[in-house]
Amino acid sequence: MPIVSPLATIHNAIVTDRRVLAPGVVLLGFDAPDLVAVTRPGSFVMVVPPSGESAATALGVYEADGRRASILFFVVGKRTEELSRISEGEKIGVVGPLGNGFTIGSERDVAIVAGGVGIASVLLPAQAYVRTGARVRLYYGARTTELLVERERFAHEGCEVLVATDDGSLGHAGYVTSLLAQTDRRPDVILACGPTPMLRAVASVASDMHVPAQLSLEETFACGVGGCWGCVVPIVNTSAQAPSFPPAERNGSDVVYARVCKEGSVFWAHELRW
Amino acid sequence: MVNDVITAREIDVSVRLGKLELAYPTLMGSGCYGSGEEYAPFVDLSKIGAVVLKSVTRQPRLGNPTPRLVHTPSGMLNAIGLQNPGIEWYLEHDVAKFAQRPCTIIGSVAGFSVDDYAYTCEKLAARNEIKAIELNISCPNVASEGETFACDPNLTANVVRAARATTDKTLIVKLSPNVTDIASIAREAERAGADALAVINTVRGMAIDVDMWRPRLGNVTGGLSGPAIRPIAVLAVYEVARAVKIPIVGQGGIETAGDALEFFLAGASAISIGTANFTDPRVPLRIVDELRAYLAKRGLRSLQQIVGKANVGFANPHQYEGDEG
Repeated sequence: MPIVSPLATIHNAIVTDRRVLAPGVVLLGFDAPDLVAVTRPGSFVMVVPPSGESAATALGVYEADGRRASILFFVVGKRTEELSRISEGEKIGVVGPLGNGFTIGSERDVAIVAGGVGIASVLLPAQAYVRTGARVRLYYGARTTELLVERERFAHEGCEVLVATDDGSLGHAGYVTSLLAQTDRRPDVILACGPTPMLRAVASVASDMHVPAQLSLEETFACGVGGCWGCVVPIVNTSAQAPSFPPAERNGSDVVYARVCKEGSVFWAHELRW
Repeated sequence: MVNDVITAREIDVSVRLGKLELAYPTLMGSGCYGSGEEYAPFVDLSKIGAVVLKSVTRQPRLGNPTPRLVHTPSGMLNAIGLQNPGIEWYLEHDVAKFAQRPCTIIGSVAGFSVDDYAYTCEKLAARNEIKAIELNISCPNVASEGETFACDPNLTANVVRAARATTDKTLIVKLSPNVTDIASIAREAERAGADALAVINTVRGMAIDVDMWRPRLGNVTGGLSGPAIRPIAVLAVYEVARAVKIPIVGQGGIETAGDALEFFLAGASAISIGTANFTDPRVPLRIVDELRAYLAKRGLRSLQQIVGKANVGFANPHQYEGDEG
């Protein structure tokens, strides 16, 4: 997948809208036309904390249209808590767009799998595939119904939406990956974003189905721009996928650690050696 | 008087480390800034002093298993484990690209024996793209040997002497805080031919996942960086400044000009910024602007005038030579 980021920069964006989608789930829209212009499906940004007191937070770009981009996040710690308190009219520093993003191909039948906050990274690829005329089905899982935020939005965008909840309060009772495994329709490609255990399960289901899968990985980032090698994941060592590493015979191993923020955050499932 | 008004732009913030002259006193810490290229979209690299490259070793290294990072209060733990392609591949494929960077590039060398350091240092220092060498004798994240050098005065001396024999370029030796008496290590590094000292590398630490009952880093232990270690670093700079005459590059949790000033006043001639770049890549440029404003407000013309001033009354006479402030 191509590494596209030279157009990334730091945007001083004014927050235009803020919505609480569910308890602890926040959507922030901001004015950043230059970011929108170069954002790709699956791009992420590093959001600079207003206090400057903690590391920047990596978040998927949820929407990107016209002048406005948005981020959608769950409040899970100090940093997201701080971001959740930002209100309309305030300025935020947004570094991006970062990462290689999803590859939008000519597949006619597309399955998108989102787990929890993973939904934040899959609207743009869903829109992109719908625009190509592909049939897009969203498999969307969360702990409980109220956390299945924005599911109507995806239906409105032209996706067929299938849901799963851990507590069985809506749709399939259980993991979204078991819903995918039971599908009556074999897709041409699978795109997925969510917690790592879900992505591993998606990779396994995709392999059983003989369907290629693109996985947007979640890792702890420090820099987010390729400078620190902290967010790595083991991948197959081939020069095409890892141009800056010595080949296997010189490295002594047929796997190398690739940066999720730079060589990813989207990897083909068959590249990964996790 | 009108002539006494100094504008911030006129303030001299340059620094000299051995033979190396830098227009700005800000180095980007090794392992935090890639090769500079990664930050070029966000920062005008011509306005930073130098990028210290990620350490390179004699043989390729896969690096440590994951996870390699944990965010902790006021800082972070990392255990990257010196992932790098090895010196031969590095010279062949990477080093030429460094010539295009609009800032000074300082190479960083790590190793597991005295011979390793000398071998890698000689090869890297021979390249025109590399203006100085930092000897990383204090990586806390590689099995035993890595940090051993910086924990032993004799081993420090042996490594520095061996590397010194391979190059005339500025040699910066990066010291570990994980020692009983950093001043004695600093003295040995100076005596063995170091041109400058980088103080400090990360502080060893550990975090445990209480749900899984296991360490949160793949390497079990890691190096703590960020504001959490700043007072440790300021003290280390202060102690080293009293022990040696060569310049010190102070580092450890610097995020603002105020933080940087603590290091200059403790005795650092330059500073290095690492973790703060992860919060906001604009930090290094902001610090220089604010340092200049601070000095202008006090009628000082040069940053070097304040170096070591918190040491007044203690033995460190060289720090005050040429002081007209």
